[in-house]
Amino acid sequence: MRRFFVCSVVWAMALVLLPSGVSAFQEEGTLRIGGMWALSGPAAYVGSSSNGLSSLAIDEINEAGGVEIKGKRVKLVKYAYDDACKAEEGLTIVRRLADSDKVLFSLGPTCSNVAEPVFGTLQKRLDDPNDTGLQFLFFTDTAIKFGLAKISPWAFRNVGNEPAMFDLTFQLVQEKYPDLKTVAVAYESDFAHSVSTWKGAVKPALEKYGYQVLDVVEWRFEDTEFGPQTSKLRKLNPDILVMLSHTYTTCGSMKEFKRQRVKSKLMVGITSTANTETMTACGMAVEGMIIPTNFAPINPKAKEIAELAWAKYKADSNLHSVPAYENIYAIKGIVEKVGIDNEPHTLLADRRKVRDALAKLGTFQGIIGPIKMNGDDDPVKPRDVDKAVILVQAKGGEWTVWWQPPEMEQDKQ
Amino acid sequence: MAETLIDVIQQLINGLMYGAFYALIGLGFTLFFGVMKKFNLAYGPTIMVGIYLGLIPLYVWEAPIWTVFIACVAGAVAVGFVVEFACFRFLRQGHELAPLMTTIGMLILLQEAVVIVTHALPYEYPAVFGDESWELGPFLIRPDYVAMLLTGVILVVVLYVVVNRTRFGRAMRAVAENPTVARLLGVSVNRMNTLTFALTSALGGATGFFVAISLGALQPGIASWMTIKGLVVIVIGGLGSIPGAILAGLLLGVVELQALWFLGIGYRDIFAYVLLFAFLVLRPAGLLGKAAT
Amino acid sequence: MEYYLAVLTIIGMHILLGLSVYLVAITGQISFGQQGFYAIGAYLAGIGTALWGLHLLPAMLVGMLVAGAVGFLVGFPALRVKGLYLGIATFGFGELVRLTFLNVRYTKMIDGKLVGPNGAEGFRHVSYIYDHGLTQSQYLGIIYTAVALVAVCLYILERSKLGAKFRAVEEDELAAAMVGINVTAVKVFAFTLSGLVAGLGGAMFVHYSTYIDHDMVALPLAVASVTYPMLGGLGSFWGTLLAAAFLIFLTESLRFLQEFRLILYGMLIIATMTFRPRGIIDETVMLKLRGVWRRHRSPYPGM
Repeated sequence: MRRFFVCSVVWAMALVLLPSGVSAFQEEGTLRIGGMWALSGPAAYVGSSSNGLSSLAIDEINEAGGVEIKGKRVKLVKYAYDDACKAEEGLTIVRRLADSDKVLFSLGPTCSNVAEPVFGTLQKRLDDPNDTGLQFLFFTDTAIKFGLAKISPWAFRNVGNEPAMFDLTFQLVQEKYPDLKTVAVAYESDFAHSVSTWKGAVKPALEKYGYQVLDVVEWRFEDTEFGPQTSKLRKLNPDILVMLSHTYTTCGSMKEFKRQRVKSKLMVGITSTANTETMTACGMAVEGMIIPTNFAPINPKAKEIAELAWAKYKADSNLHSVPAYENIYAIKGIVEKVGIDNEPHTLLADRRKVRDALAKLGTFQGIIGPIKMNGDDDPVKPRDVDKAVILVQAKGGEWTVWWQPPEMEQDKQ
Repeated sequence: MAETLIDVIQQLINGLMYGAFYALIGLGFTLFFGVMKKFNLAYGPTIMVGIYLGLIPLYVWEAPIWTVFIACVAGAVAVGFVVEFACFRFLRQGHELAPLMTTIGMLILLQEAVVIVTHALPYEYPAVFGDESWELGPFLIRPDYVAMLLTGVILVVVLYVVVNRTRFGRAMRAVAENPTVARLLGVSVNRMNTLTFALTSALGGATGFFVAISLGALQPGIASWMTIKGLVVIVIGGLGSIPGAILAGLLLGVVELQALWFLGIGYRDIFAYVLLFAFLVLRPAGLLGKAAT
Repeated sequence: MEYYLAVLTIIGMHILLGLSVYLVAITGQISFGQQGFYAIGAYLAGIGTALWGLHLLPAMLVGMLVAGAVGFLVGFPALRVKGLYLGIATFGFGELVRLTFLNVRYTKMIDGKLVGPNGAEGFRHVSYIYDHGLTQSQYLGIIYTAVALVAVCLYILERSKLGAKFRAVEEDELAAAMVGINVTAVKVFAFTLSGLVAGLGGAMFVHYSTYIDHDMVALPLAVASVTYPMLGGLGSFWGTLLAAAFLIFLTESLRFLQEFRLILYGMLIIATMTFRPRGIIDETVMLKLRGVWRRHRSPYPGM
């Protein structure tokens, strides 16, 4: 028995210590990119969608010949790992990607609570020899909590800007429905994303547009009973209900609202809920809810991607997953423009080159419109993007476009 | 003032009915421990898998709701057999902590298995008893909670009859009192354990059905939630006591919802644990328990 | 290289967590709440360096000592309950600690950044080791020095009279009391020690990850912390150490299995407990090892 145990330990260690095969990338015709997403656990749906969209981009690029580096076309190779939305997993995966797999950059993470520590271990001051943080580039597609990219100059994000999204939302709501004045808010008080969205995005927007907040009710991310909170809302009878909760509690609470006959004239939801998962879970319960998002199949390219991603990878296309596709193309563009050496010993210099280029990228093309990357010196949101906001509404079990920027009307077919 | 009174009573009604869930879950735990003197932390996952198995007739065959109920119960019983086989059958006597760990292992395994099979997608049970609460004067009563309460009462009565008035029940109690003597008297302890598993799992399946129809969307995480609440209930109610588990469950439900109403979500969980500690410190035997261990 | 260091770092902290459960387990108390002490150590050490400007070691000491003090306080009510009851009670304690930190807000603006525990939004910017130019290998050295110190203390403890008293209390409290062992003192002391060790683990973790929030010290950590001594066996602290190392190596090396890792984890626990209910290195193993050692040393075989 002891022998078996010792053997297993040795065997397990051996498996870990297996190197990922470090040959010269350029010689073998590959460019390595990485991804860490929640592929298991409660956020698995979101993470695997991003994973699928990244595969779509990679396969497309490789089929078209690959990325051009030093006159040669090399293929993209993906190293993707599951962080299960857990900080500890993220901390070891980032070093695996950076050091063992030697990827140029990484997509992800999915969860903001993984991004926090992982970005925290990155180098904070470029060119500071005393700063021993990891010099590894992230170009995030999902983790949306406000301010994450500020943590390190190596952290870039192509995610929604929730303060801007909700500002636009309430501006439009006020224009369209000027009679609606009172608001009640519900959020998950133990889930960082909900809390920061309420405090940093929704509250200021409500104040700015002169809404009266009647009450704010809270529940926990894993709660299943919403009776008392609903009773409170029933008494208040707000014009607008703002639901800053994620899929499970949104479904549960909306059903309770129906039971207790709580009906507001308008409902606004949090960005993460605008996806197929919500529709599958409780489609009719969220009927009429308006949510700001960054993606909807409003032009032929967007439709094509949404269909392909689902058909080939069973991946849902939404504001969290489509950036994975966009980011890979953006990096391809940068690599082909500034040129890298693509050798294991030039990895650090290559990453730095791409990082600096990404900081100066300015505007690049997204699926539904241009995306502007803010540079290092932006005072409010360095290394975060500004991009078009679309508002969708749940109608008949599907997300339909409620409002899109006027300049996009021409793309609609 | 009258409004506050109405609120208090409304939340009291909610609390009692919600507490019925806790009571039924605690009942399963207490039966396990009472008869088998072992802790089955895989009871929560057993119920959860039963619930998910109930989805099969619903989504695959679009069968009527009573088949879903049967599937839930049958599924839970099947999982119960698996748990019994994997976690208990091969454990020798005298190692109290081993079943704790094997059932924790099973909890991890089952929860992850369900996530994999469902691709982490949420599913829902239909709202069998309608979308709206009944209005009884100024109060709102949830029909699904009432159904669960009635079923719970029936289940408890049936359980009582089985445990106290049948030969099977007598054999079960004999094994609980003293397995060695029971064996000497001709009771097959192994068979009793298996049957107890089946009975408790069936109870779990029935409970699970009502849990599922009252939820917004199913997620595998409810296994952990049920386990924790169930354990708190048996501590408050007293290990091994059926009426204790029922009272404790109702008490917990009432305390939680009153705390939630008056003080907010931050205090709901704190009060639940304070209640737990109060009992541990002041009355370790629980409300109606027999022993402190 | 960095990757292996990262894995070893996580193992080091989990070893400390597992050892803290071990410490109370060998007095017969099963605790599912050690992650509470871990959290206290983490938050306080983080506050120490990030908000109070302390150096690393003093801050970790603060975290450790406060966790130990809380362990002392927890030890007394723990006397009233046994077995799974204690497990549930300690889990409740762990949850109360977690819920407290969920509500604690103690922030300051430092260098234009909001630093400090901020309720559900967590506590970020605990960047001491990265700001002070400590490399991963240097920090790993610090962690394993601490682990080694704890191991040495445990080694001494297990061979001392106190260690014998611990095990006597585990075996049979009544008998132990009758031979004059102060059972209360032993059990409370064990809890205090366990609080110190877990607090140290937490203090080290927060500086490695630069971030801590309430969700990181919940049920999954409780389960992991108990798994290590249960699987490793209560015969010797080496069991816990090896179990922690093994399980974490396993989860890393099985990354290619993606979501099936946890299934394997669960099956491993079930299999181990079925074949060796007292863990891999249980008391019988220790007896055999001691027997071998004595025979090896003694010129008279069989004595």
